[in-house]
Amino acid sequence: MFYKETGQFKSRYKDELAAFPLFEDKIGIGILCVLTFLVIPMFGLPGLNYEFAMGAIMIPCMVFIIMTLGLNILLGFAGQISLGTGAFSGVGAYAFYKFITIFPDINIIIALVLSGLVSAVVGVIFGLPSLKIKGFYLIVATLAAQFFLTWAFIRVAWLYNYNASGAIEGPNKEMFGIIMIGPQSAGMTRYYFVLVTLIVLTWLASNVIRGRIGRSWMMIRDMDIAAELIGIRPLVAKLSAFAFSSFYIGIAGALMVFFWLGAAEAESFDINHSFLYLFMVIIGGLGSITGSYMGAIFVWVVPVLIKEIGKSVFGFDAFVMENFSTILLGAMIIIILILEPHGLARLWQITKQKLRLWPFPY
Amino acid sequence: MNEKAPKIMMEVKNINLRFGGVVAIQGVSFDIHEGEIRAIIGPNGAGKSSMLNVINGFYHPQEGEIWFDGQKRPSMEPYEVAKTGIARTFQNIALFKGMTTIENVMTGRQLQMNKNIFWQMLRYGPAIEEEVQHRKRCEEIIDFLEINHIRKTPVGSLPYGLQKRVELARALAMEPNLLLLDEPMAGMNVEEKQDMSRFIVEVNEEFGTTIALIEHDMAVVMDLADRVVVLDYGKLLADGTPKEVQSNQAVIDAYLGVPH
Ligand SMILES: Nc1ncnc2c1ncn2[C@@H]1O[C@H](COP(=O)(O)OP(=O)(O)OP(=O)(O)O)[C@@H](O)[C@H]1O
Ligand SMILES: [Mg+2]
Repeated sequence: MFYKETGQFKSRYKDELAAFPLFEDKIGIGILCVLTFLVIPMFGLPGLNYEFAMGAIMIPCMVFIIMTLGLNILLGFAGQISLGTGAFSGVGAYAFYKFITIFPDINIIIALVLSGLVSAVVGVIFGLPSLKIKGFYLIVATLAAQFFLTWAFIRVAWLYNYNASGAIEGPNKEMFGIIMIGPQSAGMTRYYFVLVTLIVLTWLASNVIRGRIGRSWMMIRDMDIAAELIGIRPLVAKLSAFAFSSFYIGIAGALMVFFWLGAAEAESFDINHSFLYLFMVIIGGLGSITGSYMGAIFVWVVPVLIKEIGKSVFGFDAFVMENFSTILLGAMIIIILILEPHGLARLWQITKQKLRLWPFPY
Repeated sequence: MNEKAPKIMMEVKNINLRFGGVVAIQGVSFDIHEGEIRAIIGPNGAGKSSMLNVINGFYHPQEGEIWFDGQKRPSMEPYEVAKTGIARTFQNIALFKGMTTIENVMTGRQLQMNKNIFWQMLRYGPAIEEEVQHRKRCEEIIDFLEINHIRKTPVGSLPYGLQKRVELARALAMEPNLLLLDEPMAGMNVEEKQDMSRFIVEVNEEFGTTIALIEHDMAVVMDLADRVVVLDYGKLLADGTPKEVQSNQAVIDAYLGVPH
């Protein structure tokens, strides 16, 4: 695992500007691809029931990574804080539901992109206060968005097609002759769909972040006055961050309901979820794509595993384990933040740096 | 520079700037010739930084006019002023702390880049060509300012003198017509000051950039400046060549007599 940056000189800027300039990183990505595309779908995760590994760990983790990427773009890269993530994911989910029920023949990918766009528009509208206010006041404004939207998800019956249950539920729906969502869809199909979506969205986000638009977000984040004097319009930079971020969060919301849960009510988009996603971003590391992966996986997988181990190894009942895992997760979050306020991504970076110098630490 | 008929690049006329009861600038007028190095000096709190803030649209004076390139400038926001080719550095360093040196310098090219979000998402074709083209220009500026060795270092961890230099690099990346420098050598040692002076002169002579410079070190001012404006308590005290200013009695009383 120890590898060095030296010796790989970049003769052309274009090579240096590539996503993974280091050869070793390319190998790492290759290994991850083999694992996620072949090994895991075939064998599941070691020591875990196959259905459980796919349905309770792999798919939700990937959905939450997209969610975390979305929030990280806003919070970590553009420095605009939001407590409305849960609600924006709901906008994506309800929009997707409306698109596939109003236009039953719509292509799923198109419906997904459109849902993301609807969420982006709503994100921009609720991002407008960011032009005038910062910090705590902006938190309050996004909190208002959170409560208003979850209220709408319950009260506006049109959103859930006047179902008696008040829930949105995925009908069976196919793409290219394969059932993609709904009760009859195969877990494997949904797994691959979410996996490919995740890879595409990660690639697009890393591109945007390294280019002109990503820089404009970081400029506003780091020093908004200087950014303005260099010619950045705060309006454009902030609202484009809200739009891009909400686009991701909306897609994640739609995936969450229709590719993982199967059905959902307004509760799935409440303030607790907003906090959950905030945890994921902060634990993983603000302003880091790798961090978004680590944060989402850590915050989702650790409690699930603790619960499983408690139940199967020690025979505790589910209710006790539920509370215990929450407490333990909270403790771990605090410890990590004390150790390294910049999150898991920074810890990983430091480890890599140490390995690079290995075996000579000085 | 053409000695006979200097072209006036910028002119401020009768600027009055107040913050509530505090009068920061009071009836100040002066001009900046194309291609010159114009120093603005004066004791602490004289209104020098405020003047630069007025010029680049961050402060809006209650009275007064700003003429730029022979035209009266309407009230503008900072990002609009940036588009007219005015760049600046700050008295208190205002770098983007979370970014590396090269990224900070690249931010100076933002206005000249325009490929839309779809190309940016793909980072392919026009978007990457644009990125490479501007990256090359930035690398040249980094070479010029001799900060190669810190290209990939996050600027937050750099020593003060280098941060000032990165800030200059960022401003130069904008390829401005008028460069405003707010105490570019404050807090530097003699050697660093010499380097910075050399860069300022080279920018002025080689790129033909007009420079307005705030500086407390009189030796530096006498050395670099073509003409000097002296402010005191928000008022214009003197305006002329370094020699004229240096021998002006009011200036000696107000400023030079006081040790800094
Ligand atoms: N944003 C502001 N709000 C209120 N007062 C201000 C503001 N900016 C400047 N001032 C006041 O205007 C006056 C001039 O300040 P300015 O920063 O322009 O001085 P300066 O000549 O740059 O001084 P220094 O050499 O210390 O940098 C000071 O009295 C200062 O307190
Ligand atoms: Mg000042």
